[in-house]
Amino acid sequence: MTLTTEPTTPAPAVTKRRPARNRNVGRTLRRLPGHALVGLLLLVVAYPLIWLFLGSFKTQDEFLNKPTTSLPESFTNFANYTQAWSSVATYLQNSLLTVLPSLALIIVLGTAAGFALEVLVWKGRQTTLMLFLAGIMIPGQMILLPLFTVYFQLHLTGTLWPLIITYTATGLPLTVFMMATYFRAIPKTVFEAATMDGASVIRSFWSIGFPMMRNSVLTIALVQFFFLWNDLLIALTFTTDDAQRTVQVGLLNFTGQFGVVEYGPTFAAICINVLLILAIYIFLNQRVMRGLAAGAVKG
Amino acid sequence: MASVFKPKNLLAAAGVVALALSTAACGGGGDDSASGGSSAKNFSFLAINENTTIASTLTTLSQKECATQNTAQPLDIKKQAQASLDQQLQLLAGQGALPQLFTAANAPSLTSQLADNGTVLDAAAVSTGVQPAASSVIKALYDGKQLVLPTELNIEGIWYNKKLLADNGITTPPATWDDLVAAFAKLQAAGVQPISAAGKGGDGWGVTRWVGNYILRQQGPDALKKVADGQAKLTDPQYVAGADAIAALGKAGYFGKSPTSIDYATALNTFLTGKAAFIYMGSWALSDFNDESKNKIGADNVGFLKFPTVAGGAGTADQTPANVGTAIAISKKAYENDTNTQAWVKCIVDNYGTVALRDSSQITGFKTDAAVEVPALTKQIQDEIAGVQTSVLWFEAYFSAKATTVSQGNGGLLGGGQLTGEKFMQTVTSNLS
Amino acid sequence: MPAAPAAGIRTKGRIQRMHSVLGDRKSVAILLGPALLVYSLVMLLPMLWSLGYTFFTGSVISGFTWAGTANFSKLLDDPALPGALWFTVKYAVVITVGQVLVGYLLSLLYVFFLRRAGSIVRTLVFFPVILPTVAVALLFQKFFEFAPQTGPVNAAIEAFGGTGIDWFSTPGNAFFVVALMDIWRSMGFYAVLLYAGLLDIPDEVMEAASIDGASTWRLIRSIIVPLSLPVLVSSLVFSINGTLKAFDSIYALTGGGPGSATTPLTLYMYQTSFAYGDYGYGSTIALTLTALCLLVTVFIFRGTRRDTGLG
Repeated sequence: MTLTTEPTTPAPAVTKRRPARNRNVGRTLRRLPGHALVGLLLLVVAYPLIWLFLGSFKTQDEFLNKPTTSLPESFTNFANYTQAWSSVATYLQNSLLTVLPSLALIIVLGTAAGFALEVLVWKGRQTTLMLFLAGIMIPGQMILLPLFTVYFQLHLTGTLWPLIITYTATGLPLTVFMMATYFRAIPKTVFEAATMDGASVIRSFWSIGFPMMRNSVLTIALVQFFFLWNDLLIALTFTTDDAQRTVQVGLLNFTGQFGVVEYGPTFAAICINVLLILAIYIFLNQRVMRGLAAGAVKG
Repeated sequence: MASVFKPKNLLAAAGVVALALSTAACGGGGDDSASGGSSAKNFSFLAINENTTIASTLTTLSQKECATQNTAQPLDIKKQAQASLDQQLQLLAGQGALPQLFTAANAPSLTSQLADNGTVLDAAAVSTGVQPAASSVIKALYDGKQLVLPTELNIEGIWYNKKLLADNGITTPPATWDDLVAAFAKLQAAGVQPISAAGKGGDGWGVTRWVGNYILRQQGPDALKKVADGQAKLTDPQYVAGADAIAALGKAGYFGKSPTSIDYATALNTFLTGKAAFIYMGSWALSDFNDESKNKIGADNVGFLKFPTVAGGAGTADQTPANVGTAIAISKKAYENDTNTQAWVKCIVDNYGTVALRDSSQITGFKTDAAVEVPALTKQIQDEIAGVQTSVLWFEAYFSAKATTVSQGNGGLLGGGQLTGEKFMQTVTSNLS
Repeated sequence: MPAAPAAGIRTKGRIQRMHSVLGDRKSVAILLGPALLVYSLVMLLPMLWSLGYTFFTGSVISGFTWAGTANFSKLLDDPALPGALWFTVKYAVVITVGQVLVGYLLSLLYVFFLRRAGSIVRTLVFFPVILPTVAVALLFQKFFEFAPQTGPVNAAIEAFGGTGIDWFSTPGNAFFVVALMDIWRSMGFYAVLLYAGLLDIPDEVMEAASIDGASTWRLIRSIIVPLSLPVLVSSLVFSINGTLKAFDSIYALTGGGPGSATTPLTLYMYQTSFAYGDYGYGSTIALTLTALCLLVTVFIFRGTRRDTGLG
């Protein structure tokens, strides 16, 4: 499992990078602080994760009455996992079913709009861009009440559509704005030439513009995924039923009588989430991350 | 640049998108039963995560006592986090879409508002089986109206660890404030945490209840009502004195190491594992007191103390703080035109008390079957409740939702000795309007 | 990130032909239409709708009554507002700078130190991004616990002879933990983002910077940073867009406490509208936030225009 690979680093460069022998010792010494830094970094990131994993085996009694740093008494205590699994599967499915379609819509609609705003030439595009820009400023809380009313009137309450629609709309402003910025860097002659060749504008967007933006698309997709996956506000407002809860809202649910946090099942639920995400991630990793790091637009 | 473009990749991506979209459409198609129409398909109840007793009791009822009603209109429970309950109720009420039965709002003022515009049923007519004590508590809270069903009926007071007190030479439970504070000092000197109190975020009521009760004991049972009616201010010296008395306990460290980082569960656990001698708590915690896996000090080791009198004060110890805890309200619109719902509500009123007491040790405001056997501690509290002559409400009962949040949010700081009584009262007052 | 390398190709001062093939109205409608429609219906319209509420008082339950400018005069007198506003600004500045700075340092570490061996490190550091906010908040609450259990952080402080700190009881400490949490969970994300940008810098420049050790830092300062400026600006835009409107992490970690010391405008607005049932005033607070965002966005917008436009 790798986050990014560097497939584009040309082979000759690697040979060039190899330092001369006599500089080796000094270099190793000089790299020591670096190693220490990486070690510290890994500790800071990994320790909480390991602690989380260990916590998923602890009982509520251990959480309340044993030191926080202690190891679980039993590593075969899967009761937390059995309790968590029943609901987590649904939450995860809901999160994926809302975030992925929204993400796809954001990317396709946003890139197309960015193309139309930056590459195409028409009156009023500057104003329209500013209009989208205004959307970056709108706080999510501002649109909740009107949207709730509308979704209810349209009988969408009780489905995942309110989430998908709202996510798509809230993701668009930043995407459109960033896409427009990226398109600005590409000479218009590229598209003009293509269009002269007989391809329609739509076709030249789809077959030249969009692929050319692959890097940026992946970057934005990553950013939006991060925002949407972690959304609590919108999901909290538009879901009343357990059947539509996303992971974020679902985790709030692992509380018992009087809001007692059931740490064990919560941690188990988090671990299940992380493992499943990891599986999806490994599956998508090759394509996504290669694209991200490839620098396909280089030169 | 053209070499970058690979049609295969794009096609695959498009496929994934299409798939995701179509499954979203299917997966999202849940049932739409939230709207309480004239003959609703389901008997919907909006529960909160933080209270499992109501949901489990209703489920038991639907399987047994109310099975007939459940066949006509199956029970459907939806859950919300307590923190977002008020928001959900407002949004749903704005659409006229409240379920038949729902957890009453955190802020009593919100339920009153809902009643004022005709969304909540005045349950007086359906409350034939409700005990008078519960009715009077509800009416005191909702301005003379019976807006909720008493799924709980609690009294509050100071619970103590009999053994810890005896071990430290406190042979008789303190009956006055001065005795109590002397006991705290004695315990503190012996290295025992005197009081366990929650003060983290909204759990700050664990501290503000002390303030309210002190004021009621000193100024008399109508002291807080006077503030609500505008005859007195919380910043008046006699009220500030109440907050100062609690701030003094905080300064002395009687509330433990850091009340601001203690939540409800931790506070209760501290007491139940014998690490603190006293805790202010409501009788809703009886189920925990009776639960051997949680209560490590033993149920017969737990004593109940009425909030003590303050020297020279106008209040007496038998003016008992009481409340209906997490109660449920009925949607007027959904109830009035739906005979199935009416039958369900009647069945709940008739049977809820017995089932909740039998299965969850929960004392409710409904009448109960006398045959239910209860643990000794529960029996003692039942008798206490039956003997209540005058009940009083908690510190924030008449506050607006905002002032309640502010008061409870600052309670922990008061209990940690980080706020003076005056500053606390000023902060609360500025949010009262 | 394409902006930097492509900038060189860009022909400056090229005359745009208004009637070129790229001016086809139908194409504009097809490409722009869907996004504009969704955006207008789901964001612009509801926002205007909500702005209308600033002139009303009441809630969905009690009904709305015309209040004129009462909400605005209330805003000026509100003792809680300056605190919330200040916290929002402080939070946005500290977290944005922290996220991007730490992310950038990490990306430099990836490029110059770890090179190809760093994929596992990159993945691990990226990991907290996909942890749910609620989970991260729970984690940090436990880690910085003071009582009744002593969390690992305080345990470490005590092991080195210090006294444990009650992290969530004073505004300063609580802010510190919030900031640390938000930087911790997002640094890997910005690191990857900036790393991808650094990879776009021509290899020869990187070579020179990494081999000639003595002047590495000078090279970073005078060559690498200017070259990765567009990516840095993008990261800043992403970051500030999130931090100004931060809600989830604060809501889950401190709930706005102690008292109201860590309450940003978003949380204050949410409480006012939904918990306190004053939607009109809530909208007025949101308007304040929107105005703040407007200032920042216009500021950044100008910045990006200059940076990426002229390359």
